[in-house]
Amino acid sequence: MSDAEVFKVKNRLAQHVVEPGGMTAGMANTRAARELAAQQGKSYEAIGETLETLEWLCQDKSAPMDSVYDLSTSVLDIAGLFDDKLLCRAAYSLCELADKLRTQDREDWASIKVHVDGMRLIWNTEESGREALSAMVDGLWALTERLQIVEPDAPEGEQPAA
Amino acid sequence: MSLHPDVRMNLARSTVLLIDDNEQALEVLSSIFRGFGVHRQVKCRSAAEAQSILSHREIDLIICDTAMPDMDGYDFVRWLRRDAPAEANFLPIIMLTGHAARSTVESSRDCGANFIVSKPFTPEVLLQRIYWVAKDERAMVRSDSYVGPDRRFRNMGPPLGVKGRRKDDLSAHIGAAKDPNMDQDEIDMLLKPQRAAL
Repeated sequence: MSDAEVFKVKNRLAQHVVEPGGMTAGMANTRAARELAAQQGKSYEAIGETLETLEWLCQDKSAPMDSVYDLSTSVLDIAGLFDDKLLCRAAYSLCELADKLRTQDREDWASIKVHVDGMRLIWNTEESGREALSAMVDGLWALTERLQIVEPDAPEGEQPAA
Repeated sequence: MSLHPDVRMNLARSTVLLIDDNEQALEVLSSIFRGFGVHRQVKCRSAAEAQSILSHREIDLIICDTAMPDMDGYDFVRWLRRDAPAEANFLPIIMLTGHAARSTVESSRDCGANFIVSKPFTPEVLLQRIYWVAKDERAMVRSDSYVGPDRRFRNMGPPLGVKGRRKDDLSAHIGAAKDPNMDQDEIDMLLKPQRAAL
């Protein structure tokens, strides 16, 4: 094995940020918040469409867990840019659930549906009324945590509680 | 923990490469950077598209989503650090991550990105990370198993003008001395064992 090389690299970004002009961090953040607000409607519409697809998958019950994982990641992807903590927590729980299920080559559509219904409820609720939904998201996490991962070399009899 | 609102920075001349397979997320990300004053943005829907861009375009900063089909963000960074055109090898890169899937935990640790930002986040957090990346004084390391910023964090403290995450974080920029130097007697007195009266 060869030795590691350690060296300094010039960073063009570092040269640009100190150039005269630009704006203060405060101003940049205000402008970014304004731009974000302009994107919110279209983005939440896209989240709504993703939830619709998830709802359809829950009825059909034949899709692979990879599809559930990808769709919940998509919700997290968009909601995460709006700092929507509650919807992200619910979507993260569904990601975790789908990831566990696909690792074990299993399905649990009832738990997935509870998650999708919960996410739809959050999506439909105004910011001001969301505090009451925090306990519901805790419940989604409890459901996900109940599903244990079975290690490939686990002795027989140590099956997870579904 | 966010940047002081009075810190001034100029991103108008920087070219930022944004990579996300989710079209709407890419639009939102682009709007955040428009707010930051970044006029030169290159948007890519896949790592493969980004690879092609890097072969002919000068980029100053890369923002990349971790979860993408075909080549994910971690594999893209690994390619960037090892196999990309030489001038792009050590570009600063911030990864945006949603869920950390079991299969990606190890690859995320060793991928060689400058920073990984977890969603959800606010524009303030992203701007702070960009500032940190710009002021990052860490050396680059190239070894058989890892290429990227030196992960051995020394106690350098946060950059000047940035509050640390811990209350005792101090910046490494100590500034000019305000008091005259101590003479040798004063230093000796500080180090001399003293008898304690109990």
